Amino acid sequence: MVKNLKNANKFWRVGEPMVWMSAASLAVTLLIAAVLLIVIMVNGLGVFWPSELHQLQLKDGSQVIGQLMQAEPTADHSGIRRQYKIANRDMYGLDFRWIDETQIVAETIPEQVLVLERIEHGDFYGELQALKHADKLQPATLDELNAALTAVATDLEQLGELEKKLKDASYKMEQLRLKELKLNYKKVAKTDLQWAELSNTKQELNTEFAGLIDVQTRQTNKLREDTAVFTDANGTEKEIVLADIVQVYAPNQMSVSDKAVFYAKKLGELFVGEPRESNTEGGLFPAIFGTVMLIFVMSLFSFPLGVIAAIYLREYAKEGLVVRIVRIAVNNLAGIPSIVYGIFGLGFFIYGIGHTIDSLFFPERMPTPTFGTGGLLWASLTLALLTVPVVIVSTEEALGAIPREMREGSYALGSTKFQTLVRILLPMASPGIMTGLILAMARAAGEVAPLMITGVVKLAPALPIDGNFPFFHLDRKFMHLGFHIYDIGFQSPNVEAAKPMVFVTTLLLVLIVLIMSSVAIRLRNKMKKRYTFGTF
Amino acid sequence: MMTDITIKNPIVQVNNLKFYYPGDARALHGIDLNFPEKQVTALIGPSGCGKSTLLRCFNRMNDLIDGCRVEGEILLDGENIYDRSTDIIDLRRRVGMVFQKSNPFPKSIYENVIYGLRIAGEKDKKVLDERVETSLKGAALWDEVKDRLNQSALGLSGGQMQRLCIARAIAVNPRVVLMDEPCSALDPKSTARVEELIGELRENFTIIIVTHNMQQAARVSDYTAFLFEGNLIEFGLTDELFVKPQNKQTEDYITGRFG
Repeated sequence: MVKNLKNANKFWRVGEPMVWMSAASLAVTLLIAAVLLIVIMVNGLGVFWPSELHQLQLKDGSQVIGQLMQAEPTADHSGIRRQYKIANRDMYGLDFRWIDETQIVAETIPEQVLVLERIEHGDFYGELQALKHADKLQPATLDELNAALTAVATDLEQLGELEKKLKDASYKMEQLRLKELKLNYKKVAKTDLQWAELSNTKQELNTEFAGLIDVQTRQTNKLREDTAVFTDANGTEKEIVLADIVQVYAPNQMSVSDKAVFYAKKLGELFVGEPRESNTEGGLFPAIFGTVMLIFVMSLFSFPLGVIAAIYLREYAKEGLVVRIVRIAVNNLAGIPSIVYGIFGLGFFIYGIGHTIDSLFFPERMPTPTFGTGGLLWASLTLALLTVPVVIVSTEEALGAIPREMREGSYALGSTKFQTLVRILLPMASPGIMTGLILAMARAAGEVAPLMITGVVKLAPALPIDGNFPFFHLDRKFMHLGFHIYDIGFQSPNVEAAKPMVFVTTLLLVLIVLIMSSVAIRLRNKMKKRYTFGTF
Repeated sequence: MMTDITIKNPIVQVNNLKFYYPGDARALHGIDLNFPEKQVTALIGPSGCGKSTLLRCFNRMNDLIDGCRVEGEILLDGENIYDRSTDIIDLRRRVGMVFQKSNPFPKSIYENVIYGLRIAGEKDKKVLDERVETSLKGAALWDEVKDRLNQSALGLSGGQMQRLCIARAIAVNPRVVLMDEPCSALDPKSTARVEELIGELRENFTIIIVTHNMQQAARVSDYTAFLFEGNLIEFGLTDELFVKPQNKQTEDYITGRFG
């Protein structure tokens, strides 16, 4: 009895339960994170793998071609129902269908079935019947279709170049229009030479533009004459313009290595391609670009601002009530909901500063805003505001952690406070400052709410960087992966079709944060090695 | 207060120095003390007696403490260092310091030694190279590090680090070198090495050393001052002070009856 008591006492004294509890909490945390990542990865990575297409013979005599998505017990638990992606949205109205297993008479895997990725209306599942050129039908094979597509692709490329020229021309015309507005605003006399010059250039541009449009229309019309005829599962014919087809493949004929090549190609397209079909298909390049650029511009503001503020707080400000209050306030800034920052950004940066800039520098364009509307610059500034407390706190801590002997050693050799700061303290604090920057970047990458009211859009017409002077267009609206997730996941007209893209986008966002922070962590470790005592 | 011997041509003169920590806590109660040039003077006494405070008055390191106050004067080469016109940067160049805990900067050995010169604006590579060699030789470290001057100083051993700090202090050619328990964090072998070095440095520099270790004071110093509770109790030639102390408190302390 006594011995038992002693043992129990020892059990508590050693702290065994505490060890178990801490281990368990860590395990739970890791498990949650791992499950989240695994769910994203399983759903995200599988999207582009070309799955088999099944042809089903149903009891009512109709045929269905589709890709099996999932299966679950029916509501009354009498059997299983399966969800198929049947595509052909323009023919059937919806591209997913639930089918009870009891309805299925026969199931085959037909070799000939093709998947067409189209610019509009999503995928098409069906069989190739014939190619149509100059109103003449001609039976064709998949290879012949592919050859025809390649020919069309070169034409499309030419058209793309034409489009680029058109874009340039319209940009120039827009500049001209602004110039005209300016002349008007300045009330330059109509007899002034500038007006004549302006109208001359305008005429030239208009002619050029009209010519380009004409060529474009002719070429497009000609291109659209080439079509192909397909049949769906039930033999209904469908004529599809070749120029609308992104690519064709026969998943049931592909070997595993074929599929792997295809998969890699799709992944590549994801990184460099433009989005299609209200963002549910195509690539994510503009969103990736926007996200990365947003984080960079944000760091450009929040990093120096935070570091300098922290230096003042820690090194120069006299410790007292005011400094303590400031410190508490800074710490609490991190707890303000991000949407509040967004509203502040909207009110202060966009309506306040942006509007003032507009009325001072671009009065002729009013009431159309230039800076007085959401844009990359204002979104970055808003995020900088949101992340600056993180940088301040970590910089302050890093400076505070430097042993007193270091400062004294430097002062004792006759250095000023500033020299000590620049030569000793900042290098020594740099790993800590980097940690702050990493946290700030990760936080900024994950924010969506404040962006929604400060300049993020579903589809941006142009990137914030291009070849037109002044190259960086920080006033432009931009796309963002985080907003993309929200947009396609919850605002898309066809949620079921958008679902895979949600996972892919999430995966990509996580990946980008991971890449950026691992670069920063590498950098930090390098600094750490250089500036801290490690070897004795 | 007893100052039994008069020092001729003292380099540092302390006249009625009183020091107050924030909140008017007096740590030094009027010290009068003269330090001989190119000699080693040890400041000894029990913890809290004010010896480190006194040492830090010589290069005005105490200025870093907000709200402390100094009365009286310290003359370095006849000039009061607490005068308004004193340039504190210049003062610290004339009075170097080695700390209890070795504090090499996270830079290369080379950059550590010339830190004082760099911040003073010296750019001539030849001058810098030369000074690195003489200082490291002066600190008896040259042979050990001459092949890795560009490696981080943080890779040195504890004893080497402390000698590097000494090299760094003497690189700016100070008049006086202050040492605040320079060996307290070192092993016996490194301690012996630094003590030997202190003996050599005496030829060129005036050294004021604070130590807890009476044997060390006896070994390295020419003169010794015993402080107790902010007062100077006794000052004299080390050989005499340790053999026949004039004061009862001094005798008690050096014989180990308290402290």
